[in-house]
Amino acid sequence: MRWFPLARQECKALVSSKGVWLLALVLPLWTYRPAYRTWNELGPDMTIGFVQHSAAFVLPLAAIALGYRAIVGDRSSGSLRFVLGLPLTRRDVLLGKLVGRTVGIAIPVGIALAVVTVVGVVRFGLFSPLRYLAVLVVTFAYLAVLVSIVVSVSALAGRAATAAATLFVGLLVVFETLWQLLAPMLYSRLTGTPVNLYDPPADGRLFLIDRLAPSRAYNTVTNWLLEAGNSAGFHNSVISDLEPNVSSNVLVVDNTFEPGAVPLYLHEAGGLVILAAWGLVPLSIAYYRFDRGDLA
Amino acid sequence: MSSNDDASVIRTDGLTKRYGSDAAVENLSFTVDTGEIYGFLGPNGAGKSTTINMLMDYARPTEGEISILGMDPREDVVDVHQRVGILPDGFSVYENRTGRDHLRLVIDTKAADDDPEALLERVGLADAVDDDAGSYSRGMRQRLALAMALVGEPELLILDEPFSGLDPHGVRTIRDVAHAENDRGATVFFSSHVLGQVELVCDRIGILHEGRLVAEGTLEELRASAPVTTEFELAVDGNLEQARRAVRNVEGVVDISVSSASDGTTVGDGATGGGPETGAAAGGAGAGAEADTMAGGTIVTHLESIDRREAVVEALERTDMTIRRTTVEEPSIESIFVAHTGGSPAGGEHR
Repeated sequence: MRWFPLARQECKALVSSKGVWLLALVLPLWTYRPAYRTWNELGPDMTIGFVQHSAAFVLPLAAIALGYRAIVGDRSSGSLRFVLGLPLTRRDVLLGKLVGRTVGIAIPVGIALAVVTVVGVVRFGLFSPLRYLAVLVVTFAYLAVLVSIVVSVSALAGRAATAAATLFVGLLVVFETLWQLLAPMLYSRLTGTPVNLYDPPADGRLFLIDRLAPSRAYNTVTNWLLEAGNSAGFHNSVISDLEPNVSSNVLVVDNTFEPGAVPLYLHEAGGLVILAAWGLVPLSIAYYRFDRGDLA
Repeated sequence: MSSNDDASVIRTDGLTKRYGSDAAVENLSFTVDTGEIYGFLGPNGAGKSTTINMLMDYARPTEGEISILGMDPREDVVDVHQRVGILPDGFSVYENRTGRDHLRLVIDTKAADDDPEALLERVGLADAVDDDAGSYSRGMRQRLALAMALVGEPELLILDEPFSGLDPHGVRTIRDVAHAENDRGATVFFSSHVLGQVELVCDRIGILHEGRLVAEGTLEELRASAPVTTEFELAVDGNLEQARRAVRNVEGVVDISVSSASDGTTVGDGATGGGPETGAAAGGAGAGAEADTMAGGTIVTHLESIDRREAVVEALERTDMTIRRTTVEEPSIESIFVAHTGGSPAGGEHR
């Protein structure tokens, strides 16, 4: 815990910036999306579903905007020379930055979600508290994963602009926004099987690729907790897809596979493994490089 | 904690840092002993900051060994930095954090019990403790960085170009603090291309040029080893021409010139001793000088070393001259520096 003062100061600097409070303002508006079908299926637990919406776009964008300079910014400005002059290993520096930024973003996110929750409870009644808590824990874990990816890229990049561009295109556009379209294309490329999303082949690999992106893995886990269905889509899309006579382009395991024929790796808990991999693999690569190179 | 079995605080052996095929630092071996103030002198690009970056483990050596307080800068980075204070070169403050924030980070990480305000008071920044460092001037940032280096009473204080961007008051503060820390028992290691400051602060100086240590020692030792001359001036009564003849053949006298007290005419003469500044004052003989030289006047000689003074005085005393007064002007650190590096000294402070 040598890195604690560093983390505390990173967090303090972030919380006293304007960006995080803009996030706190935007997040309730973005996540509050009541819908009749969802209400019919989830009842008061619809409020828990609001939390899931934060995963799409807003949290990744916030993590990138508030974190991409974490290391590379200090490195190019020269303030990293102060940080590296402290009695800390380079691992401590990475950890302190990661924890500090994560908590710094988690505080406004927590406040924003609390606002949405209060509104939800007032309008739709009390939800199941344990389920809410579980979704909240997974959401903050997902946030930590995002910040870990961002800080890792920040540690690897030579220039701040490179980090920003890599994260924006790679993380936000490819993995967090376009992945549901790219995954079937990728699957077709790899297997040679064309995919009609309205009548997908019962191939576990397609469904696995679909949930490999961080937000898709997060959705899978939280859909499981909400009992919305086994899918990487948003819970309200999944719920409508599961209605009789409704067909959508969302890949839902329960619609495609016979009960009992679902491959084990498509279990929803697998989403936690995917999230953990996103949290640890980039960080390990970043640590490996950061620990070896010249930093000044 | 330390296996510091000798008196050295910093020791490098064959330290080399290459970027591609260019060597920023090459085969550098030097030692800084406990309790001394050691100055690393060299022009910009000589490898001073690269060396300090390696001492602080900001950069890793291509070859060679470093020992700081008997420890390895990389393996023992936490223990080393706990006992070292650093004022880095080319740093930047966090614009939206206060001076107090900056100090708190260092104090808390080092688990020291320093008071941020007291530290900023020491460097003359007490008024700005709660201002954002982004509003600080260049000199104030430098003072803040110095205060951060002082946290936890470090055993070794490393100051990389501490005088850059400072006004004369700031320069004075750095000098005073360096001496005060040294009195407390800290070893001070600093780098500078500002020659005059090195002379004022350091016990021992290493001259770094193109990545190599070209000279090392006390100021006196550097003077003695550099091919530069000491100016020795004597006010005498008696026959100046006779004096000139007596002195010009003394070993170690590079040149001599005399001027009579009556009309200030100067007669110069290159001596046999040779040397880089031979003949600097030669050739100034005025008409009729011979006649006026009986009245006495001033003899200016340039000596290879200050030790040749005695020989000059003895030579004059063997004649019937009376020496009324002597002054010695030792070579400036600039001239020593130029002699060792073959380049022009960088007198300015801007990078």
